[in-house]
Amino acid sequence: MDAITVTNVAKSYGTVRAVASLDLTIPAGQTLALLGPNGAGKSTTISMLVGLARPDAGAVEVFGDDPATAVARGRVGAMLQDGALVEGLTVKEVVGFVRGLYPEPLPLAEILATADLTDLAGRRADKLSGGQRQRVRFALAIAGAPKLLVLDEPTAAMDVESRRTFWASMRAYAAGGRTILFATHYMEEADENADRIVVMAGGRIVADGSAAEIKSRSGTRTVRFTLGDQSAAGLDLLEGVTGIEIRGTTAILTSTDADATTAGLYRTGLTVRDLEVRGADLEEAFLNLTTDQS
Amino acid sequence: MPTYLRLEVVRMFRDRRFTFFTLAVPVAFYLLWASVFKGNGTEPKTGLDIQTYLMVSMASFGAIGASLSTTGQRFAAERASGWLRQLQTTPLRPWAVVTGRTVASMVLALPAILLVSLVAVAVEGVRVDPLHWVLMVVLMWIASLPFAALGILIGCLAGPDSAQPITLGAYFALSILGGLWMPVSQLPSALRTIAVWTPSNRFGNLGWTLVSGHAPTATTALVLVAWTAGLGALAIPAYRRTLRAR
Repeated sequence: MDAITVTNVAKSYGTVRAVASLDLTIPAGQTLALLGPNGAGKSTTISMLVGLARPDAGAVEVFGDDPATAVARGRVGAMLQDGALVEGLTVKEVVGFVRGLYPEPLPLAEILATADLTDLAGRRADKLSGGQRQRVRFALAIAGAPKLLVLDEPTAAMDVESRRTFWASMRAYAAGGRTILFATHYMEEADENADRIVVMAGGRIVADGSAAEIKSRSGTRTVRFTLGDQSAAGLDLLEGVTGIEIRGTTAILTSTDADATTAGLYRTGLTVRDLEVRGADLEEAFLNLTTDQS
Repeated sequence: MPTYLRLEVVRMFRDRRFTFFTLAVPVAFYLLWASVFKGNGTEPKTGLDIQTYLMVSMASFGAIGASLSTTGQRFAAERASGWLRQLQTTPLRPWAVVTGRTVASMVLALPAILLVSLVAVAVEGVRVDPLHWVLMVVLMWIASLPFAALGILIGCLAGPDSAQPITLGAYFALSILGGLWMPVSQLPSALRTIAVWTPSNRFGNLGWTLVSGHAPTATTALVLVAWTAGLGALAIPAYRRTLRAR
């Protein structure tokens, strides 16, 4: 069964088109990363998935139901970007409260352990540090053992160590056969934690596949070699070259046709040492995909 | 909904500022006015002695304050912080949030009514028929409903910074027009005409009539019901709208 089906959905806020004709099917059990720059339509898509926004056109289904119904049945847990914590309650109280709203929640001790909050259970939730608060918000999202977990930029405001533990917690939760959708603009988070990456730009999906597929689809390669103190003049005129960067003594050429570029390079009469041809990394692939749209 | 109600009540009692303003202030005002006006006989319109009249006034003042302060500014702040949006991603439905908040606000209005009327009996020697006293407490408690609805409406429409002055403004306007600080007969005539249609005036009236052993008029009941229905009918869609707006 599909966890999410989005069919031809559009959503505008006033005159701003946030999402334009979006189609997306997510099978149950998949971990999907929604990758894109700010303003790509990620948060709007998430708002519609959790029933906080209604599409202007098209249909969104979550486990075959309208999103609001799926939420009411306790099938969805969410960590939104602006979901602050309520004042005046301890970690244990606020997690226990949200847990109590769901029909078949996880045991309290398990939630606290998964979110690494066992030692903070008695502390006031609104007086914790930024990273600790994010963990509480993650605990609230998983408290009801939802079949679909939606996370909107969950690691914003976390340091490197907190991020590492956070993704370990998320993977532990995903291992139970649950469906997870997370939005991020960090390429490496998508690369390391998702089965599938959907790249959005300008309210549309511009790429959809595994990290490897997205890297290859962008079609660019880099050609790098040691230039030393030779002149870089004319390198940008070689066949296939779309960009040139000199880093110290190294020249890095971005090319849409690495073979032609390399052949041309040897004809320039330059002394070419340490030649290396590589596929673009995910970050470059991402930039290639999203800059075309804007 | 009961879980949410319990959560809200616990949170309010942990807030010292709330406990101070909704309990200590009306009691202190009661004791102050009762000693200032002591021996001034009876309030002409209701025929109640001053201590009893002020007991109802200050219980009303306290209950309205408690209803508004559990809702207005807090609700606006929770809306701005994203907590209410977070709540709406759980199985708790919008109507349950509004109902839970309204009932919580009523639960928290009860201590103000009780405390002022107990202090009146214990300290100022007010004597009321126990049955009338119980009726007054219970019916005033139910009649605090329109003020909870008003607070939620303010919380849905006002920003987190403007919600507090708006709530305070509404509180003072309702108290003055309601004749809770001074009898309505002392107000300028233009205000007197408006005053009888305010929920606060009818709220006070309900209490004054009940302690004197009479049944409240149908107009009083209707005005209170109309305010509750009207404000409630505005508050629920306003709440739904705030969840969507981004």
